[in-house]
Amino acid sequence: MSESHVVGVDTGHTGALRGADHLLRAFAAELGPDAAVSGCTHHVRDGLRPHTALSFALPSERAARALWQRLARDGPGRSGDAPGVAFGDERHGPGESAAGAALAAAEHAARTGGRAVLYPGSGAVTGVLTVARLLEVCAVERVAVLGSPEAPSPETLLVTREHVRPEWREGRLVLVAMPAAGGTLVPFEVPDPTPCCADH
Amino acid sequence: MGHTHGHEHGHHHHHEHGHEGADTTLPAAFDTAVPDEALTPEQRSRRSLLRRAGLLGAGLAAGSVLAQGAATPAYASTGGRRKNGYLWLAGDHHIHTQYSSDGKYRVGDQVRQGAAHGLDWMVITDHGSDAHARIGVDKVNPDIREARDTYEDTLVFQGLEWNIPAAEHGTVFVHPGRNEVAVLKQFETDYDGSVKGATDSTPANEALAVAGLTFLSEQVRSRRVKDVLMLANHPARKGLDSPHEIRAWRDATPASHQIAVGFEGAPGHQAGGIEKTYGMGVARGLYDNSPSANSFAGYPPESYRTWGGFDWMTATVGGLWDSLLAEGRPWWITANSDSHQVYTDTAVRGGPDSDFNLNGRHTDPVYGGKIDTTQGDYWPGQYSRTHVGSDGFSYAAVMDGIRAGRIWVDHGGLLSGLDARVAGGGRWATLGGALHVRKGTRVTLTVDLGLAGGANWAGFVPKLARVDVVQGDVTGPVSDRDTLSAPTARVAKSYEVNKSSGTVRLTYDLGAVDRPVYVRLRGTDGNRSAVGLRGAAVDPAGPAVDVLGDADPWKDLWFYSNPVWVLPS
Repeated sequence: MSESHVVGVDTGHTGALRGADHLLRAFAAELGPDAAVSGCTHHVRDGLRPHTALSFALPSERAARALWQRLARDGPGRSGDAPGVAFGDERHGPGESAAGAALAAAEHAARTGGRAVLYPGSGAVTGVLTVARLLEVCAVERVAVLGSPEAPSPETLLVTREHVRPEWREGRLVLVAMPAAGGTLVPFEVPDPTPCCADH
Repeated sequence: MGHTHGHEHGHHHHHEHGHEGADTTLPAAFDTAVPDEALTPEQRSRRSLLRRAGLLGAGLAAGSVLAQGAATPAYASTGGRRKNGYLWLAGDHHIHTQYSSDGKYRVGDQVRQGAAHGLDWMVITDHGSDAHARIGVDKVNPDIREARDTYEDTLVFQGLEWNIPAAEHGTVFVHPGRNEVAVLKQFETDYDGSVKGATDSTPANEALAVAGLTFLSEQVRSRRVKDVLMLANHPARKGLDSPHEIRAWRDATPASHQIAVGFEGAPGHQAGGIEKTYGMGVARGLYDNSPSANSFAGYPPESYRTWGGFDWMTATVGGLWDSLLAEGRPWWITANSDSHQVYTDTAVRGGPDSDFNLNGRHTDPVYGGKIDTTQGDYWPGQYSRTHVGSDGFSYAAVMDGIRAGRIWVDHGGLLSGLDARVAGGGRWATLGGALHVRKGTRVTLTVDLGLAGGANWAGFVPKLARVDVVQGDVTGPVSDRDTLSAPTARVAKSYEVNKSSGTVRLTYDLGAVDRPVYVRLRGTDGNRSAVGLRGAAVDPAGPAVDVLGDADPWKDLWFYSNPVWVLPS
């Protein structure tokens, strides 16, 4: 997909990534038949308030332009501040939000950053499967294991916990995993991380 | 060379003075003039622990590095009393009680447990919060004072767990005195990130953290309190403590009396990784977060997990901690319980009338009728210990020892004693200190290790398998304050320990020293190792990443010491 097919959206989301994931899925659901090819979250750390922005890669320029126009014209269709939207060189919305949206779109388009929530085959990555199977059924191109310079063997089992969030690294969609009980791997990102001051 | 060591560490060289100072009394458990029969049950328990650990009575004096007329290792001195060395007091600066919204126990419960588990000093650190600033910080004080009276052989500090603006949590604690509550309360009200709504990682909030440390420094300077220390807790847990923030805290207050002096080398919650059948089945240390918008962009995924139970900043040879040490300025590590709710305990939070926000505390715990395996904490002293070389048994001496970096830490009772001395040119220095020698002087590190003298709290005698000497060059202050690696730090030498009891002496020849360097120690039971994150040439057998949901902390034990610098001129 070319750069022109990615739309960035910045609603100023702060807080847990889980909330950003919900937001991303809600946007994607609204796209209907023009469903996004992939949807990512991006950390925006330049502004006064660190937050999370979203990006959507659309299957065609026509679809991307339609999304851009709808968001620029109607807003996201939910309460809250007007979002920033970016598409190619075009910007819409408050300056900071538009800049956040542009950052998200640029990272995704260049495939240098972004944590993928939706990606081709993401719906098929559930339960327990081998690394080989993971690479086969979805867009993840590589599995990296914390603390290990080598790739895991294709037969290694990955316990997905229904929460697989690969990220763009140097043009490839990479899933970072770590050793887990029983000689398995789990994705690095824990679905329900320990919140601060919640019984700990 | 740009470092400032001469002044900060110069006083460590006068170990022979042997003055008694203010430390008039020794805890009865340490004092062999007090017969066993005269001890209370707690004191007797403490003494038997010391005895098993080889900390009491005849010890290592004969084989000491200091046999040639210098001091005797602290743990070797007959009667438990140092003659010319230090009293190594075990402690924990990160402990919660019913005055934390996520806590449970009475202060007395935690102090009783800490004392029984072998601690000499403890810091009560309930979370900074609206309720704590308004109510808890006052209400906890009578409980702490009562515990001081009840457990007179345990030093109990009042502190708080500061929500560092723009960053993680940190222990702030004061020397006991008339204004201990007033200072803590004002600090919490004015500088706590949660109370002030200043948790986001913004420059303004980072500045508020520095202002808080300046405030604390001013309280000491004006003699409102005798002393204050700050130590950052679980620093890499969420990627919130950026390298430049850590450096800013370190440099916020005068080098002559620094307030922020270190971070947890190993976090608490060490039981979090115990397998699901018997425990939480999550991450050791409850290190299970991933990057957020507030985290420092330069931290890799590896930094969010523990390595042999230690925080990535400490566990990575050539990593962030070494980058701080390479600057030639003090920054120390500790290890604590972060005890909130203890694994396999049977008490539950009191209720149902418990209203934390109204009362500033939970009601007293009650018996829950079953063993709770859904918690990840240990009692203070049960698993993690911070050993501080103290010039006597007093609050001031422990704080001085921490500020001076005379600290080593272990997990699971891996060691009973550690005495490290770097010697050359007729002088020597120990942990946290600096040896000043003429360029070209031959320098030797000698380490006496007291192996575990008895069973730990899991019921077995831990065995030390290997000790590593980590060495790095002192390259002076960094221009990029977000530097997080030290290119020259590496494991310089490893020693296999083929002995299961008694003591071990290691000697490491630094050669004719021609440039400023530092050395630090690390050791392991040898159960789990992996090539270090900066490669085999740097660390061929470092700690492995802790397995998610299957990390029994008793089967992967490490110790770490703070550094000693060698500064030729």
